[in-house]
Order: sequence, then C-alpha cells, then structure tokens
Amino acid sequence: MKHSIGTRTEINTDSNIAISVKDLHKSFKLPTEQAFGLKQAIFNRLRGIKGYKEQKVLKGLSFEIKKGEFLGIVGRNGSGKSTLLKMLAGIYYPEKGEITVNGTLVPFIELGVGFNPELTGRENVYMNGALLGFSNEEMDTMYDDIWEFAELKDFQDQKLKNYSSGMQVRLAFSIAIRAQGNILLLDEVLAVGDAAFQQKCSNYFAELKDHKQTVILVTHSMDNVRKFCDRAILIEAGEIIKDGDPKMVADAYTKLWS
Amino acid sequence: MSIPRVLNRKNRILLKELTKTDFKLRYQGSVLGYLWALLRPLMMFAILYVVFAKLLRIGGDIPHYSVYLLCGTTMWSFFSECTSQGIQAIVNRGDLLRKISFPKYIVVVSATWTAVINMLINLGVIIIFALINGVEPSWSWFLAIPAILQLYLLSLGIAFLLGSINVKYRDITSIWDVLMQALFYAVPIIYPIAMVAETSSIAAKVILLNPISQTIQDIRFGLITNQTITTWNYINNTALTFIPIIATLAILVIGALVFRRKSKFFAEEV
Repeated sequence: MKHSIGTRTEINTDSNIAISVKDLHKSFKLPTEQAFGLKQAIFNRLRGIKGYKEQKVLKGLSFEIKKGEFLGIVGRNGSGKSTLLKMLAGIYYPEKGEITVNGTLVPFIELGVGFNPELTGRENVYMNGALLGFSNEEMDTMYDDIWEFAELKDFQDQKLKNYSSGMQVRLAFSIAIRAQGNILLLDEVLAVGDAAFQQKCSNYFAELKDHKQTVILVTHSMDNVRKFCDRAILIEAGEIIKDGDPKMVADAYTKLWS
Repeated sequence: MSIPRVLNRKNRILLKELTKTDFKLRYQGSVLGYLWALLRPLMMFAILYVVFAKLLRIGGDIPHYSVYLLCGTTMWSFFSECTSQGIQAIVNRGDLLRKISFPKYIVVVSATWTAVINMLINLGVIIIFALINGVEPSWSWFLAIPAILQLYLLSLGIAFLLGSINVKYRDITSIWDVLMQALFYAVPIIYPIAMVAETSSIAAKVILLNPISQTIQDIRFGLITNQTITTWNYINNTALTFIPIIATLAILVIGALVFRRKSKFFAEEV
C-alpha cells in the first residue's frame, strides 16, 4: 500500500471535545479500464499502467465537535459527507490527518445492517443487536419493547423476506434506538418511511436533544437542520465551506442551486 | 492489537452471533436441515469406500480401514470447508464491512467455526464407528486434539492470507478450488501412504512433509491405529520432521500479518 496512513484514535477523557478532526484527507482509487481480476492486474503491472485513477473525496477537513452538540452535516450528493461519516465511524481509514473520538461512538450508516431475508424477525433482532454490542441476555430484556415499538408483534416469527420494506425499516429503527453510546452518527437513515414513522424519528431527535446527546446528523432535510441542530457544516467538493449557525448554513445550502 | 481488545465483550458477542447465523443459513430451507452436516461427509465417505476399498481393493492390510478412511475424509472436508468458507468470508460479508466498524478477523473466524462445528459432530460419528469396528478406547485418542488444532490453525492461516487477497482479486476462489482438487490427491486420504512408500520412499517422505498429511496421519495414529505411518515415525531426520509444524506456524503468522495490514482497506475495496 502506498498510502501514507492517517490515524484514528479512540480515547475516553473528561475533555469537552467529543470528536476532533484535523486535516483529514481521503481519496479513492477508481479502476479505469477493466482492472479487476488477476490477469488484468498482471498486465497492468507489466505495461506500467496504474489501472486506476485517484478521486480526491476529502481535501483537508478540520473541525471539532463538543460534547452535547447536535451537529448537522449538509452538502450535495457526492460532496463527501458520507465518506466523512464512515471515516468518523472507523469504517474507512483516513489517508492523511487525524481523527480523535472521545467516547463510545454508535454509527447508523444504514438501518438494519446484517438483516438477512432468510432469517425470521426474531433471529434478525438478535443478530442486529449483536452488531450493536448487545448480548443475547440483554436482547431478551429489550425484546418485547422492540416489537411493541415497531408495532409488528404478530410478525416476529415470519421470515424477513415476507416483510414489506416499510416494516423492515420500522423494525430496524426500533432496534437501533436501543443502542447505548455517547456519540451518535446518523446518516440519512431516517429519510425513509411514512408520515407516522417520520414523526417517531422527530420525537427521537427531540429526545436526543433533551438528553444532551452528542449527535452528528447527515441530512438533506433543512427543516431538521433548523429544528434540531446547534451547529451545522456545509461540505462542497470535499471541503468545508460553511461552519456555524444552522440557519445560516441551511440558507447557504439552498443557495447552492441558485 | 492487544489481546484484551481482540477478545473484548463486544467482539465475543458478535463472533458468537455471526457463527450462529452462518450455521443456520447453511442449512436453511432444506428438509433435513442440520442433519446434512452429518450426511454430507458420510455420503462422501460411502462413495470413496465403495470405489477404493471395495472395487479397487486398496488399503487391505491397514487395520480398521473403513474408519481409517472415514477419519481421513472427515478431516479433509474440515480443511476444505474451513479454507473455502474462510477465504470467501470477507467478500460474503461485504455488506457488513461497509456499514459498521468492527475487527474484520471476526468474519473469517466465524465462517470457519461452522466448519469446526461440523467437524466436531463428525468426530463423534468417527468415534462411534471406531468402537463398533473394534477399536479399543485408549489414552492415545487425546493425541488427536493437538493435531486437529494444528489443522485448524493451518486452515485459518490460509483463510487469512488468501481471503485478504481475494477481496481484490476474486480469482483466488477459483484457483483455490482447483488447487484443492490437486491437494486431495497429494495427501494420503484415499490411498495408504504405504503404497507410495513401496515404490518410492522419497515420495512418501515428501508427502508426509505436507502439514495436511502430517496432521491427518497424526489424527489417525491417535484415534484409530498406532500402525499408521506418520511424519514422526517414518522420517528419521528429526530436524526435518518439524517442517510441517514450522510451515503451519509460518502460514498462520504471515496470514495474520497480511490480513491485518490489508484489512484497513477492506471496506472500500470489497
């Protein structure tokens, strides 16, 4: 690997900074021609072709998030929001720069990670719980509440493939909100579902805000930014172009198209 | 990576749950379900037994030859399942890797544990067969434990090493399939090693330096008959006899190191 590698560290201190990001860079290698498979790799090596081009996704981001802050991250599609979130979550590795996470971080990049259509609702709940760090015994105690909240009690022994997509999301959300952590990363997971579900999400956000949870919310909904965020960041082409008051950032976002 | 982090509570829970899911999914939708874990190797054994022991009449002078053969095929299936599942684990669990952050080795280990469970079930069958066949229970049975462990570590090492390359070059899966076919005949499972030794003792020695042969023969020696030819009793040069063990450890260490280095980029490459 030719990457000069950045760092991501997890600490647990009393400092009031929850996440600090310094000069964060990330680029992806996009295969140019057919660069998959061993044969092509050997050919490319022999001909001295790289077989990929570098796409710079994040170009030196720096910011800090305080404990208890509700931060919104906004930007167009492809601006690098999700990449940033995945790096905060430790899924992608920083290419250059430093990420310091102070506390337990719970990422929701997507709802229902690890859901398997061939397993029953019950089995999926335990599996998904394990991904959030809950043992079987802990899941036992939450089990009824989860189904109660999802309003799907009658379906718990059906295979997941027989659920509608809305039902799956409801179940996943119902598990996700049990997660215990002091920093939550939310990536548009809540942009799905019907009006009733949206209402539940809003209530959940409000609750998080009341409890002074540290939340990082990636969203396209400027309503949510204005309503819940204490601060917002606007990312454009891999750089932070606005950082501060959510109303100001939401306005700047809307102006990107005018 | 320090030991407490590797085996922390969260990782243990995840490992357990992933193994359970893998095992459930393997036999999902089949009428006989988990019974297949038992039936598959038994059927493979039945075929090989009819072809090699009955039709070709190989292995006549080995005591308890049928159990001896069953033991070999079971351990081979274990090795084969462990490696092929382990190699594909990262690719198969790509959806998970792209969405949450957790130590990637868990995925590989959980994939191999399904094979471990299958093997343990079949080990029970071997012991029952052995007793029926008139094999006397003996303390030497415990000799099989370190040998099985070594075979598992070897499989794990291969899974780590090839699995991390397989993320980028999926050819590995196909190459390994073919290689396994060749390996099957390079290991004395269906033919007794004595047959090779008759024509060329050098060839027999080379075969016994392969850690797969060494472990399988050790397991047979412990469980079935102490007349089994093993690396230890056939190769006179003591220094040479350690080659299979050194090879196993080398593959495991190299595999783990390569895996650790590459695993940082699995999420974006898979």
